[in-house]
Amino acid sequence: MTRVSHATLLAGVVVAIAVLALLPRFAQPYYVTLVLPAFAYAIALLGFNLLFGVTGLLSFGHALFVAIGAYAAAVLTSKLGVRSFEAILVVAGIVAVAAALPVALLSVRYVRIFFGILTLAFGMLFHSFLFKFYNLTGGDTGIRVLRPTLLGSDFKDLDKTAFLIGPFYYACLVLAVALAFAMWRIVHSPFGLHLAAIRENPRKAEYLGVRVHRFRLLAFLISAFYGAIGGAILAVNTGQADPELAYWTHSGELVFMTVLGGFANFFGPLVGAFTFIFLKSELMGATQYWRFFLGVTLAVIVIAFPRGLMGLASDAWKKVARS
Amino acid sequence: MTAFFDVLIGGVFHASVLFLVAAGLQLVFGVQRIVNLACGSFYALGAYFGISAVGWATAHGAPTWSFLPVLIASGIVLGAIGPFIERLLRTVYKRDEAFQLLLTFALVLMFQDVLRFFWGANPQQLGNLSMSYGKVTLGEVSFPTYNVLVMLASLAIAVALGLFLQRTRHGRILRATAENREMAEALGADVRWIYASVFTLGTILGTVGGALVVPTSAASLDMPVELVVEAFAVVVIGGLGSMRGALVGALVVGLTRAAAISFYAELEVLAIYLIVIVVLVARPAGLFGKPVE
Amino acid sequence: MSTALIETVGVRKAYGDFVALDGVTLAVAEGETVAIVGPNGAGKTTLVNVLTGLLKPTEGIVRFKGDDIAGIGPVRLAERGMARAFQLVHIFPALTVAETIAVAVVSHRRHGLKTFVSLRRDAALWDRVREVAAIFGLDGKLDSEARLLSQGEKKLLDIASAFALVPEVILLDEPTSGVSSGDKHAIMRTLIDAARRAGVKAILLVEHDMDLVAEYSTRIVALQGGKVLADRTPDAFFSDPEIIAAIVGKRVGRLAQDTRLPT
Repeated sequence: MTRVSHATLLAGVVVAIAVLALLPRFAQPYYVTLVLPAFAYAIALLGFNLLFGVTGLLSFGHALFVAIGAYAAAVLTSKLGVRSFEAILVVAGIVAVAAALPVALLSVRYVRIFFGILTLAFGMLFHSFLFKFYNLTGGDTGIRVLRPTLLGSDFKDLDKTAFLIGPFYYACLVLAVALAFAMWRIVHSPFGLHLAAIRENPRKAEYLGVRVHRFRLLAFLISAFYGAIGGAILAVNTGQADPELAYWTHSGELVFMTVLGGFANFFGPLVGAFTFIFLKSELMGATQYWRFFLGVTLAVIVIAFPRGLMGLASDAWKKVARS
Repeated sequence: MTAFFDVLIGGVFHASVLFLVAAGLQLVFGVQRIVNLACGSFYALGAYFGISAVGWATAHGAPTWSFLPVLIASGIVLGAIGPFIERLLRTVYKRDEAFQLLLTFALVLMFQDVLRFFWGANPQQLGNLSMSYGKVTLGEVSFPTYNVLVMLASLAIAVALGLFLQRTRHGRILRATAENREMAEALGADVRWIYASVFTLGTILGTVGGALVVPTSAASLDMPVELVVEAFAVVVIGGLGSMRGALVGALVVGLTRAAAISFYAELEVLAIYLIVIVVLVARPAGLFGKPVE
Repeated sequence: MSTALIETVGVRKAYGDFVALDGVTLAVAEGETVAIVGPNGAGKTTLVNVLTGLLKPTEGIVRFKGDDIAGIGPVRLAERGMARAFQLVHIFPALTVAETIAVAVVSHRRHGLKTFVSLRRDAALWDRVREVAAIFGLDGKLDSEARLLSQGEKKLLDIASAFALVPEVILLDEPTSGVSSGDKHAIMRTLIDAARRAGVKAILLVEHDMDLVAEYSTRIVALQGGKVLADRTPDAFFSDPEIIAAIVGKRVGRLAQDTRLPT
């Protein structure tokens, strides 16, 4: 991986944030509404990639936590009358971590395909629970998510779209930046170094005194938290929490997005989330066989560009730097 | 009493079909170390294609009773796609497992729309064809002959597979390659041909499974993604790579599902996942698999 | 109360009918460099695995600093102060030399759970990393990814990261295997020297190269068929022709005639 100077990196990040901040001003509302799920997935993927790109564990059940976040938002607003977005985020995070604890305790002893299958099983367990227990979870229609208040204000005078592309957009932007910054610190800390060591060679890490299971567990808990925050944002955006959020193919899409952006790079998941959302939207508009083309895209990435878009960018940067 | 037999027959029937798909998964995993998420897609393809084949055959004057052999034949014919898919997967053999898994996921996505393109979004079925073989009656209980035939067919295939793997030269080469690829290569095995044929065999098992189930249920676009979870449950319970495990695992899943549907519908799939989790935690290698890590 | 740093008492390890170790008793005290030798299949690897807490003996006791360490596993072993470097090189392929050593330093300092501290800005950490790297001559390659190093450099890195744990006892499993003969002595000297400087109290060495064993060990433990054949100083060891014949086969030449005491 090219070591880009921190000044350049910072400059790039500032530009990106500025563009995103100004987007509602000069872009069509349709595109702005797409950025919201992009924010949601960006956050969820930051969590996913802590497990996958950094620690080397491929989970096929990350959507479980996205669903938890969505249903937390739904239950709080529709059933418990709690409308504060901040409360939703806190509760979503806590519930996700609580749910992740037993899952992680059972799963982190296994690696590779077993970890993948185990997490897939847990995800589907939750899905069937959501699907079947109609009285609690609304069954296959799910539960509505009512508009939350932001820092106490309910923005009554704004209609749904205006709220979403206005105050909610900025709330999510701030949230995404803050959580991305936190994840940057986590990845570049001694903890992050230990996770990378675990990914590269778990046995050697053990011989250097690294408690592999414990660190994997912590990474899992953090990833669950991020997943739930993403799920909460998604649910507020669509106004609905439904069981398909927990289906294994949704987990598969999360992996897809991450690999598309580049799992070996911190910004990969972010780039992947945005790219996937826009790609999917364009494809859905162009053809009813958009799944096929998404599949082809994934196949091409896996076969030819495994390091994803950021890998391509990194190679291009290297060429430019050399000339 | 009838309820018990209904559960038994229903469960074993479902297990018979599941066994075929799981056997395909186990073969491919055992020899090539690939977990094929697209196994459900092959299953669905077999189902849809089977319906079309029967429709075509009947339109061309084939007698009603011939639908079972037609189904089996159509499943086998579909195996022709096996080598092409294997060729695609070959590009990532040397890479990390995650990429292999992802490539099969890409196949799942692609197959979804391939099925939709050829057969549309509505579920398809063969009507009451499964009843045309009549019923078998034992005392108070009776069940469709078709179901019994499928169970027998599946059992026959299981035995044939077992004999093939244990008694024939080809089978032994396959098992050797599964144990140690480099060694097998060094001893002269044509690994590429082995991989292509194993994958094709695995594909055929899946397509035939799908074809056989169609007379008793419908072919729908949900099939591919739903089957994967049950198939995975089977191989996890039985142990990755083990044929015996596929048999036992299929019976466990089939019977559990039948029992759950009968007694407490909400628990249907929940029960299966719970068993998966319990087995994975208590004995990660499954009942017959080799211990890992 | 024995003064041994690490010891086994009557250790027996059996796998069904196969006995890998039979009544092995040995003790390593502070200041010693003990070489474990023997033909393949003699039980060296099993003994090492028992000594490093990876295997529980079927019978017998294995102690480190007076505490029973049977089967405690690599993590707890490292925490207690014993490090191990392997014959087959273990690296973190995508991590740089600096990062690899840093993993050990962070682990030693028990900083692993610090999630919000910046790694880059921890000057004390990287100073220590440079220090350890310099001992092994790797300070020129700090930013190289481990997978790009030569076989010998990878070996040194593996050992360097073990040293960075500041262990009291270090176990080196054929440290010079895969290294060209010209470099072997240089590497051994570096290791013994580094160990002394790093405060390592005892070294256990598994080696096939008898020249190195003669030159650098203070005591030689020879295994054969799971039993201790001999436990002597190099002097005593190499002046006994029966032992030589059993372990190294017929050996004529400098070694048999050399009466020089090892340092």
